Amino acid sequence: MLNPAVSKELVDIVGRDRFLDQLEELTCYSYDSFLEEAIPDAVLFPVSTDEVSHIVQIASRHGIPVTARGAGTSVCGAPVPVQHGIVLCFTHMNRILEVNTRDRYAIVQPGVINGDLQKALAPYGFFFPPDPGSMNMSTMGGNVAQNAGGPRCLKYGVTVDYVLGLEVVLASGKVVRLGSRNIKDVTGYRLSALFCGSEGTLGLITEIIVKVVPAPVTTKTLMVTFKDLDDTAESVADIIGSGILPAAMELMDKMTVNAIEDAVHLGLPREADGSLLIEVDGSEETCEREIRQIIEKVKQHGAVTIEEAATEEEKERIWAARRSSYGVFAKLAPDIVSEDVTVPVSKVPAMIRKIQEICAHYNLTAGILAHAGDGNMHPLIAGNRQDKDEWTRVWQAVHDMFAAAAEMGGTLSGEHGIGLAKSEFLPLVMDEDSREFMQVIKKAVDPGNMFNPGKFV
Amino acid sequence: MSCGNSARCGKCGVCLAVCPVYKVLMEEQASPRARIQLIKAYESGRLPSSKLLKELINKCLMCGSCAANCPSGVDHYSKFMHMRAEMAKAHGDRIEIRSLVYLLAREQRIKFAANLAQKGQGMIPESLLKKCSFGSISADRLPNLNIKPFRSSMGETIEPKGECRGTVVYFTGCATNYIFESVGKATVGLLSQMGYRVIIPKEQTCCSIPMLYHGAVDQAGDNIRQNMNCLLVEEATSVIVDCPTCGAALKKEYPMLAERYGLDPQAVNQLAEKVVDIMSFVQEHLDILELQPVSKPIPVTYHAPCHLKNVFQPSEQLIRHIAQLDYRPSGDALNCCGGGGTFFYEYPEISARMSKVKTENARKTGASFWLTDCPVCHINLHGQLGREDMLQVAHPVEMLYYLAKGTAAKGDEGE
Repeated sequence: MLNPAVSKELVDIVGRDRFLDQLEELTCYSYDSFLEEAIPDAVLFPVSTDEVSHIVQIASRHGIPVTARGAGTSVCGAPVPVQHGIVLCFTHMNRILEVNTRDRYAIVQPGVINGDLQKALAPYGFFFPPDPGSMNMSTMGGNVAQNAGGPRCLKYGVTVDYVLGLEVVLASGKVVRLGSRNIKDVTGYRLSALFCGSEGTLGLITEIIVKVVPAPVTTKTLMVTFKDLDDTAESVADIIGSGILPAAMELMDKMTVNAIEDAVHLGLPREADGSLLIEVDGSEETCEREIRQIIEKVKQHGAVTIEEAATEEEKERIWAARRSSYGVFAKLAPDIVSEDVTVPVSKVPAMIRKIQEICAHYNLTAGILAHAGDGNMHPLIAGNRQDKDEWTRVWQAVHDMFAAAAEMGGTLSGEHGIGLAKSEFLPLVMDEDSREFMQVIKKAVDPGNMFNPGKFV
Repeated sequence: MSCGNSARCGKCGVCLAVCPVYKVLMEEQASPRARIQLIKAYESGRLPSSKLLKELINKCLMCGSCAANCPSGVDHYSKFMHMRAEMAKAHGDRIEIRSLVYLLAREQRIKFAANLAQKGQGMIPESLLKKCSFGSISADRLPNLNIKPFRSSMGETIEPKGECRGTVVYFTGCATNYIFESVGKATVGLLSQMGYRVIIPKEQTCCSIPMLYHGAVDQAGDNIRQNMNCLLVEEATSVIVDCPTCGAALKKEYPMLAERYGLDPQAVNQLAEKVVDIMSFVQEHLDILELQPVSKPIPVTYHAPCHLKNVFQPSEQLIRHIAQLDYRPSGDALNCCGGGGTFFYEYPEISARMSKVKTENARKTGASFWLTDCPVCHINLHGQLGREDMLQVAHPVEMLYYLAKGTAAKGDEGE
């Protein structure tokens, strides 16, 4: 509970309507899509940078933690306020301030939904490449803070590759503008990049300038199945290794395909041990050529069926099914741990074998799906938190997967972030000096440890 | 569909993207995910029952879009219905809502109240009506009630015109019976014209959805049993509804509630299989639909009711198919209008924000008719239009019947 005097100061800024402090309401801000939960003391909905700055000054004066939140679709616990305090929810700062396709940028407030930006860009023939599974509900502020990825980031890169500039409220309440609206800009440190993936631990993002790119003329989508998961992975490594760069390359094992099929009845092939969803984009000619090359490659690796989506609706259905996979798994077990371990693409076959081995060793059920083209694995491990023994095995398995990935030159997270989920595993991929460097930055920028305390730094 | 289990909600947030209330308020506590988490907290004793909890649970259109789109298969709809009952029991309901539930529980009461209200409507001066409002709707934009209940003015069996192709049962719902008799006449007229014998069982009564929404679970049981007893007519191949919410009740809720009310599961499933909305029925029998030519296609636009899109299918495809209609999509036909049973009355501001956008987009199409299959959507959308609007709201079946008759007479759909 906040001190009533502090509450009054905060209400004076945002008004009673945009200030929540009742347990029933606060409960709704205690979670994201991760397992752990914590109830904040108050939730505020700012509508301007000025309000954010004033709130931060009050919080700073009273030593109250401040945790930023968008739509709460993070899967690593990033917006869960483990040390309570204030949750600043940015969903009301949701205006698209400018779309400028001549200069190829858009300026948005942090609460703009990724999908709404896409809709605003479509009439101009432009798009914003990062497409996290949550794109229809997650906010741009959250996408930047988590440095979100998505299937087509294989070809186009992740959020940080598209952030040109940011407006940020610092712990002092000062407002800084980092970067600019220029595609090329090497004026000083690239400080905007520092906030990409900062998970709300350094400052509060109040305005975002992103690079936008022309939408490809056409896309072609293939669904390929294999008898063997190993062949599936080998063909991914081979295709990417040979220089073809599809827009997306999604691998799904039998369990994943069946779970999706049970939920959405798309007619995906249930018998195959491995399936690949491949999309290429570009000009008509490029797509044709790449599709031909890909078909040749997958045949060499023993593809059983190769089907091309005939219509736009069919493509959209396939992608909607793929995006639903996280939710689909929730049906299979009381608790699902969605991992995000990532390895260099040539190591994809070895990593998939390793994941299967580890799950078999700990007697666990897991589905494997992956943005395979960029080595980003998503093993979804089913478990039950009430079953202490099983839950211990789940976390041992997770640990072993990270350790295996680290050995292959991989990393903990490709796109979900660290949050609460993975902070204990950081030493596996970052040595002490590197972690200390991160802490030096945190201390310099947020000396009072006010922003999202209790997380990875 | 599996029965609701909030423990299986993976908190993925997909429901945020499809919830009409969340899209307006943009605050988590107004989302289906939050309601599921609140119910979970309440059931596990972490959160006590309170008026605020009731408010958060009830600020919902019960449109079912969350359940229809949930990848984890959470049945929000049943969960919310159950929780609403708990909250109504603990904290009561507004007197108007309690009265509504009381009326709907007995056909005689509905009839009595409708008769009284019908007589009263003519007596209130228009100048006064303009000053009053009912939720988000100005009182002078509310529909008139039928002079006589539709079912009382019809026989129980209506023989088809010409050769008989089959028999169907018609569940009229309360709206057609007491407010929109023109929809009932059009439904019966079109079915007869298509060669179907129509049976309108006299004992049918309120489907009970409004009662279930407001926690009157026991009263609802009587209605459900009464409907179960009269709707299964052996020779009838389909049970036709003109209201998607009644349809959703018969098709989805009755099977879900079978155990609770001790209904014969086989009978319930048999009924569920037969239930179809009138426009889907027409769509399936397009080969026998005979419409008269028109000199110029009639410009129409469309609004898809939530329960139609989530349980049946929107009528858009059929409307698009009919050459006599110049279909002008509004671009947001699938978006909720904010009606939601009594939602427009209980939360007028939120509801009005939804209907305002819809009304603007519908106006822009330049259509003369705004077709929609649901009586609450009809009342809500008509209520948001002004006297100066040329746009007239109608059920698509009224339009089809008008075209089937091929006369310039417009039937009785005018206000």
